[in-house]
Amino acid sequence: MSATGELLRTEGLTKVFPGVVAVDGVDFDVRVGEIHALVGENGAGKSTLIKILGGVYLPDRGKILLDGKEVAFSSTHQSQESKIAVIYQEFNLVPDLSVAENIFIGREPKTAFGTLIDFRRLNARAAEILTTLDMPLNVKSFVADISVAERQMVEIAKALSHESRLIIMDEPTATLTEKEVRKIFEIVKNLRARGVSIIYISHRLEEAFELADRITVMRDGRKVGTKLVAETNKNDVIEMMVGKVVKDYFAQAGAVADSRQPLLEVRNYSVADAVEDISFTLYKGEILALAGILGSGVHRMLQSLFGVIPKKSGEIFFEGRKVNIDRPRDAIRLGIGYVTEDRKNAGLLPAMSVLHNLTIIIIRALTFLRGLFIRDREETRRFEGIRTTLDIKMAGPGQRIIYLSGGNQQKVLIGRTLLTDCKALILLEPTRGIDVGAKAEIHRMLRALADKGLSVILTSSELPELVNLPDRCIVLYKGRKAAEFTRETMDSEKLVAAQIGHSDGQNGARP
Amino acid sequence: MIRFLKLYEKFGIFIFIFAGAVFLAFASPNFLKLDTILNIIAQGSYAAVVGYGMTMAVTSGGFDLSVESVMALTSVFLSILIPVIGIPLAIIVSLMVATSAGVVNGLIISKLKVNPLITTLGMSTIVKGIALLVAGGKMIVILQKQFMSIGTGKLLGIPNPIYVMVIFFAIFYLVVYRSSFGRHVAAVGSNESAVKISGVNVDAVKIGVYALVALTAGLASVVRTSQALIGMPSMAAGFVLVVLTVTILGGTSLTGGRANLWGTLLAALFVSMIYYGLNLLNLQIFYQMLAVGTVLMLALFIEGLRLRYLKAAKAKGIKV
Repeated sequence: MSATGELLRTEGLTKVFPGVVAVDGVDFDVRVGEIHALVGENGAGKSTLIKILGGVYLPDRGKILLDGKEVAFSSTHQSQESKIAVIYQEFNLVPDLSVAENIFIGREPKTAFGTLIDFRRLNARAAEILTTLDMPLNVKSFVADISVAERQMVEIAKALSHESRLIIMDEPTATLTEKEVRKIFEIVKNLRARGVSIIYISHRLEEAFELADRITVMRDGRKVGTKLVAETNKNDVIEMMVGKVVKDYFAQAGAVADSRQPLLEVRNYSVADAVEDISFTLYKGEILALAGILGSGVHRMLQSLFGVIPKKSGEIFFEGRKVNIDRPRDAIRLGIGYVTEDRKNAGLLPAMSVLHNLTIIIIRALTFLRGLFIRDREETRRFEGIRTTLDIKMAGPGQRIIYLSGGNQQKVLIGRTLLTDCKALILLEPTRGIDVGAKAEIHRMLRALADKGLSVILTSSELPELVNLPDRCIVLYKGRKAAEFTRETMDSEKLVAAQIGHSDGQNGARP
Repeated sequence: MIRFLKLYEKFGIFIFIFAGAVFLAFASPNFLKLDTILNIIAQGSYAAVVGYGMTMAVTSGGFDLSVESVMALTSVFLSILIPVIGIPLAIIVSLMVATSAGVVNGLIISKLKVNPLITTLGMSTIVKGIALLVAGGKMIVILQKQFMSIGTGKLLGIPNPIYVMVIFFAIFYLVVYRSSFGRHVAAVGSNESAVKISGVNVDAVKIGVYALVALTAGLASVVRTSQALIGMPSMAAGFVLVVLTVTILGGTSLTGGRANLWGTLLAALFVSMIYYGLNLLNLQIFYQMLAVGTVLMLALFIEGLRLRYLKAAKAKGIKV
């Protein structure tokens, strides 16, 4: 095997989902024994591409060549047989089995009569693999008891035990500490030295530059280009990632954003394993974005602000008063609304109607006699009010929520919080999984609400949303404030650079 | 198929009742008499009343296996308390005892996060043990004959248990469909974490639900104890299965979030019809167990079929 030989090549690979071309004619190749970084914004098509290589999706067009021979993976098993291993962000490990059992799951060495697992040989062989990779792991530990970084190692060891020639790693370091990242890097480099090829997906550009031999940038399902790391630089790559995000000054100008009356102040706020010493102020009638990639802590920051997860330290002031928010009820009582990013699991009441989904938050207040007898007419009136304001499209109030489109479901969830007459609204990924038209509609709606004095604080992983919607945008990186942009200083490339930890001394970005 | 299953969700139980009625009308010349029908309804009232409570528990995403033990405990307390503090007070205190057993269930399930199956199964044994202990392991005869009128009396020719069934249907109808508590119960069963971030006190809702189930069990026990005039520490063995059958057959979704109180009422009457039919055919009591088990399996099978088809329909993009 020569170091420059080609291992895998895709030609014109295309995968279409209803309403979106996720991967669009991608020509991509991996050489033997190289680390190939795959980067791009959310929705660029990286995940779909690796899922095709992993046998999860069948491509609609195009082909995959392995060692120059065309292959087709109609199952994950076939991809594995071809010595390709994919390590997804959600690990494929059994928590109640040991490290060794996980590595050899389904292929455990058996005792003489082939009936029982030969634990001695199992543990010895697992230990052997761990030693070659210099992994400090006890083969007998249960996976449930080991850290995320260690689970990552188990996945790698498992891949190696399959004699995989290509290991695809999807954001392996997103939730790891600096020290753990170092260890994973060592292991990945060790793998390369052994002739294994790696496709390394990361949001953190610095990692890609440190590790990879080549780097491929994807955007909107297409491959923008592949560069030798030695022959490119971060700014070029960012430009390739971002492309053109048009700043749209006309549609979204805030009316009262400059009143500068603080509503909510967060001081020296920390959440365990997520954010450290964050301070910011949310003004009345302002749309503030907290931006950050996976592992930056933005989601946890906002969840903690609403009392979904506990804080470690820090203070919150609301309307000038110091307040405690230990659970969602406390936040709601203050006048803070919250729309989850996990619409399906933490937002919707799937068995219930649109009407009941909307009014659940205030149903107690809509009754006579402390909870008994819901006042139907009042309930319908409040419902109709929200329905008209947010223009929710549905068959009728009795329709089950799950049959609404994603955009309309999201409006119901936003409407739910608006029913409480909240003063501040926390939105996590407000337009995730929603079609383009509905996105614009929700943006207009949020701006209109802000113009009426509502303060909005949101986080999003979609660049156009971050560039055009908020009045201000604070970027977090690894739990700390990395940059802040106003509408005037906003620049999509600098924003991306700050999010991926490449904001050293950029103008416009105040660290 | 979709349309059929949708219809089944709403009216399925009517089909069962109609088929059962036709069968019984042919099998027995006595069936179509008013007395027989009232008797069947009265016999179904226990399963209906406890079924109301169980419907709430299932709607909240759980269930309660301790109802029969709570009935036994209530019965024992009644028989001991009536001679001491009189009938009205004895009923009130016994119902409070029953309800507090439910509160304990609710506390364990919500605060200690133990699964409802294990919690109520364990509580069932404990409560039954307490009942046997308090009763000294034997039945206690109640000498106050006037207590009997509660369960055996009639008003305007209609047996009292039917009034209990109807009045509590009305009350539970209000609680389930017209109160904010009922809405919260359905919401907890539909998606607990979503309800939590809507500021609802999920623990309080669950405690309330299990308190209500236990209360319905207590009520059923009062009527039954009055009919027998005996405090029975072994009352209602196997009854929990009847109540679960009635709830599921009635169309309340096991996945939570959707109550069907009408269905529970009608299913209770249907099960009562089965019992009557088995008696008519002079079949032994063991056949009742066989029948209830079969009906429960059938109801679960249809429920599973329904969920599968709804899922398939959704995957195909058919609006249901």
